[in-house]
Amino acid sequence: MPGKAAGLRLETSASDIIEIAALRGRARDLDRIALGHGVQLPPLGRALVATDHLTLCVRPERWLVLTPPASAGASAAVWQAVCAGLGAVLDLSSGLSALELAGPDAREVLVRSCRIDLDPQAFPVGAACATIMAQVPVTLVALASGVLLLTPASTARHFHQWLVSTSRCLGFVPPSHPDDATVSGDEPS
Amino acid sequence: MQGPGRIAPGLLTDAQRPLGFRFDRQLMQGMAGDTLASALLANGRRLVGRSFKYHRPRGIVTAGPEEPCALVDVIGADGREPNHLATTLTLYQGLVAESQNRWPSLGFDVMALNDLIARFLPAGFYYKTFMTPGWAWERLYEPLIRRAAGLGRLDAMVGEQAAPAETVHDHADVLVVGAGVAGLTAAHRLGASGLRVLLVDQDAVLGGGALLDARWTDWRETTCSALIGLGKVRCLPRTTVLGAYGHGVFGALETLAGAEAAGLGGLRERLRIIRARRVIFATGALERLIAFPGNDLPGVMLAGAALGYLRRYGVAVGRQPAFFLNTDQAYEAVFALAAAGIERAGVIDVRSGSLAAQRARALGIDVHEGAVVEAVMGRGGVASVRVANRDGSHRREFEADCLLMSGGYCPTTALASQLGAALKWQQAIAAFTPDLSPTIGRVAGAARGVFGLAAAARNGEAAARVIAAELGHAALAAGLDLALPPDPQATPIGALWEVRARGKAFVDLQNDVTAADVRLAQREGYEHVEHMKRYTTHGMATDQGRIGGLVGSAVLAQARGLALSEVGQPKPRPYSQPVPFAALAGGEVRQHLKPKRRVPLHDWHEAAGAAFVATGLWMRPLVYSQQSGWEAVLREARAVRRSVGITDVSTLGKIDVQGADAAKFLDFIYANTFSTLAVARSRYGIMLREDGMVLDDGTTSRLAHHHFLVTTTTANAAVVLEHMEFHLQAVCPQFDVLLSDVGDQWAQFAIAGPRSREVVAAVVADLDLSSEAFPFMAAGAATIAGVAGRVFRISFSGELAYELAVPGRHGLKVWLAVLEAGRPFGIEPYGLDALNTLRIEKGHVTGAEINGNTSAADLGFQRLPKQQGDFIGRALSQRAGLCAPDRLQLVGVRPLDRARRLRNGAHLVAPKARTTSLGYVTSSTPSVELPGWVGLALLAGGRQRYGERLLASSPIHHESTEIEIVSPHMIDPENVRVRA
Repeated sequence: MPGKAAGLRLETSASDIIEIAALRGRARDLDRIALGHGVQLPPLGRALVATDHLTLCVRPERWLVLTPPASAGASAAVWQAVCAGLGAVLDLSSGLSALELAGPDAREVLVRSCRIDLDPQAFPVGAACATIMAQVPVTLVALASGVLLLTPASTARHFHQWLVSTSRCLGFVPPSHPDDATVSGDEPS
Repeated sequence: MQGPGRIAPGLLTDAQRPLGFRFDRQLMQGMAGDTLASALLANGRRLVGRSFKYHRPRGIVTAGPEEPCALVDVIGADGREPNHLATTLTLYQGLVAESQNRWPSLGFDVMALNDLIARFLPAGFYYKTFMTPGWAWERLYEPLIRRAAGLGRLDAMVGEQAAPAETVHDHADVLVVGAGVAGLTAAHRLGASGLRVLLVDQDAVLGGGALLDARWTDWRETTCSALIGLGKVRCLPRTTVLGAYGHGVFGALETLAGAEAAGLGGLRERLRIIRARRVIFATGALERLIAFPGNDLPGVMLAGAALGYLRRYGVAVGRQPAFFLNTDQAYEAVFALAAAGIERAGVIDVRSGSLAAQRARALGIDVHEGAVVEAVMGRGGVASVRVANRDGSHRREFEADCLLMSGGYCPTTALASQLGAALKWQQAIAAFTPDLSPTIGRVAGAARGVFGLAAAARNGEAAARVIAAELGHAALAAGLDLALPPDPQATPIGALWEVRARGKAFVDLQNDVTAADVRLAQREGYEHVEHMKRYTTHGMATDQGRIGGLVGSAVLAQARGLALSEVGQPKPRPYSQPVPFAALAGGEVRQHLKPKRRVPLHDWHEAAGAAFVATGLWMRPLVYSQQSGWEAVLREARAVRRSVGITDVSTLGKIDVQGADAAKFLDFIYANTFSTLAVARSRYGIMLREDGMVLDDGTTSRLAHHHFLVTTTTANAAVVLEHMEFHLQAVCPQFDVLLSDVGDQWAQFAIAGPRSREVVAAVVADLDLSSEAFPFMAAGAATIAGVAGRVFRISFSGELAYELAVPGRHGLKVWLAVLEAGRPFGIEPYGLDALNTLRIEKGHVTGAEINGNTSAADLGFQRLPKQQGDFIGRALSQRAGLCAPDRLQLVGVRPLDRARRLRNGAHLVAPKARTTSLGYVTSSTPSVELPGWVGLALLAGGRQRYGERLLASSPIHHESTEIEIVSPHMIDPENVRVRA
């Protein structure tokens, strides 16, 4: 459920997420096989957006593939078959949480913790990186619509609360997390 | 006009907006735009504080953050905050400030007695005076000295909204530090060439020296407007660079202006962490003092400060000022005050025949050339000055109400020095300038000894041009083509550091260090400038000796008979000015102090009334009750022993290991063997650190021939992953292995108890759970409550048990299905406390026993490490000391009196040797299976002591309990239950 506020939009993004990691010396084969299945694997530090999926690479020879939600493990099972002998495929749909922060003020919020240069000149659309924000691991992807943020599921609420709290301090006031009844109560009045 | 000192409109003040404030309870009025210092001076206030050591009366000396004396307490809604600089504290309506370090009042301070006995209190006196008796230092001397010393009083700031602050990360191609003429020029040229520029200045307005010279007003305003028009340049006033940390990283503190602070919930400070490809230090130069007797009397201040108060705030610091100068630049204050109609007492110029002196005489100003000030007289403030020729002849005295001194200018070198810039002595300006590596950036303007505004502008432009070219922006855009007002010709400085005469001549006004103290340090062997600094505390106060640092070095050089260039200056370190702790903490306070990791079912546990406990960052259900005591814990544990319980073990670390060499790698990482493990089976394992001690334990399951799942303890998940990654990358880089952290992917539940098979069978559709088909330590994929997952037959409780793992987002569905299936059996969810009870009874170890000091043998795993093949920790685990029979070994303990309790940490002692600890209790709990309490302990030679009786002694509880030593496996030692 998207929430809008002046200059800022914060949405949770339900996606199936799998990680494909190349076994030793098999990255090119994996790349070719994936392309044959309609998925282009981007180089390190980049993300590619297609109509039905998003791929990104923030670790050498490892890629995340985000697709619309399907049945549990279905996407991973398909890719495990495709990548057999070339790489390891792991379902991280429950392991990572996806948020999208959009709007002209998004960067003002993120620079309160993100050490990466998010200026469009340095971090253009299609750039991806992994860093630490609010003391938790976060993967950032610059999209045309905003910034996609992936964080471990166990720290997702903490990170969301940090985003909300920081946004409130800046006067952007996004709504509470739909799954998180405590966000409002946790905040200083 | 508010106050007798206000004689003209100021550049920054708004006469239409008067502001009331209090200083030492006295109500005064200032103007919007004032600092507290300017407002106090406008009100004719000269005495503002007492000195640190001698409690001498002190006034305002400077007009900026280098101020050594005018420190005040500010009393606000959140309490009292000490050590605010009056010279930078922006005045606001209702400001309440108090002077510091005096009792009972500023005018009459009892501790001023110190000044009368000063001859007994030289530098380092307490090192020598308080030597004996030894016990008295901590108990008597130090408390007394600390009570007498220090500035200001600190109130606890514990309010929910106290001092909010935040951290911001900035990036730029070029960071320009200092928005004086050089900095403004450089920033404009760099921005116009297309580079991203961050221009920071500690002042509230940009301009630096241009603010003090009316001829530069048009230039400043035009350039600032042009900067705003350049989208590539961000200007940050009120921002002080605190430290330069190398690799282009700088820390800066931004103090928010009133309106912005109010809009951000009272946010006061913003710590900026800046990353830049290059830096230009256009930090200007600071005027320095001259050491002469009485140079700390209220009314003695820097000439440049007087000029600043006049230009910026329209305040005359005195009605009859005398000047003590040695440069032509310092005459600007003379001319400005003269133009404002202030009567001059006279100018004392160290030199003879300077151009500036000629100009002064032409204006009818008395100039005493080739002269020095030998003393300043007055009670509580300057009343007259005694002057003599430099050779001591022709002494004369004349009245003055303030003395404005200038000993020359020191380029601000601290930040460049932090980046390794060597300091070079420049005889022409009698000061050091920094030699910064060009790969880091450039120093421009007065900071590199280029004095004169026009010269600084040209120098800033040159620095910008070079840096732009280095960054690939050679096509520098045209400048503004503004005419630069010419710099007047100047006579060189006549260096003068000290006037030696009777009386205290201070080189450090904040720490009360005199020139005599510096000489004493030299005589006592503290000859190096760094040793002298620490012996005397010269330059160690919050102002870091910025206006007197070089003077102290000069006095030391003279005492050592060396050139000042050989003595040098102490190395400056971050922070360049005091920083509130709140600013360093930023937003990571209160609920954001540290992250909380939550399991997928956190909300369910919370709704079920769980009390949580932090395990590392994880929030784990401790017990499903908000009541204290053991009742609920034992109810939960009893359910497991007698029927069935379910607990959330999602917090366990889970590491996916795949690849052709996965088994070989695990054999290397673990002390025991995994390459022989069959597919669909699990095995308990321990891994050692390189030093042979146990790092962690857990079960590892083989999911396919080249695919394993490692589980770790909750607290050690990250440590184990890092340990494995390190050895894979650094020790076994030839292995074809992929490690992936899948800890957050899986929700995992243990269903334990004699009825657990029936419960699990009700939710697992496609797996035969009979002991024959799915024995103890079996593992397999299954559909659980309609969800694809995994089933493991492993047990931590010592009962028949299964662990179910499903993707986290489906965890609740499976958990509820298990609860429903277990309802006929009275299933209970159980928390960490009950789990602890169960594992202690069974003798299973956790972090309390795997505490970094225990070996495999200590924990009873002496037969577990493999005999063949290498593994981490193998060599050092075989050290004689780790195999000694008298090492602390894991045992079980039980009180003989079943009504007595055990205490974790209680020492195990023999009844006849109660002061010799033989070991200690690591874990204890009331038992649900056995009568009374049970515990685990580490006991010297423990395995040989089964049946012995000792005392568990807990002196802090005044308890001593007689116990018997038993096997740690206090229930089902044959493992019958888990194999049921």
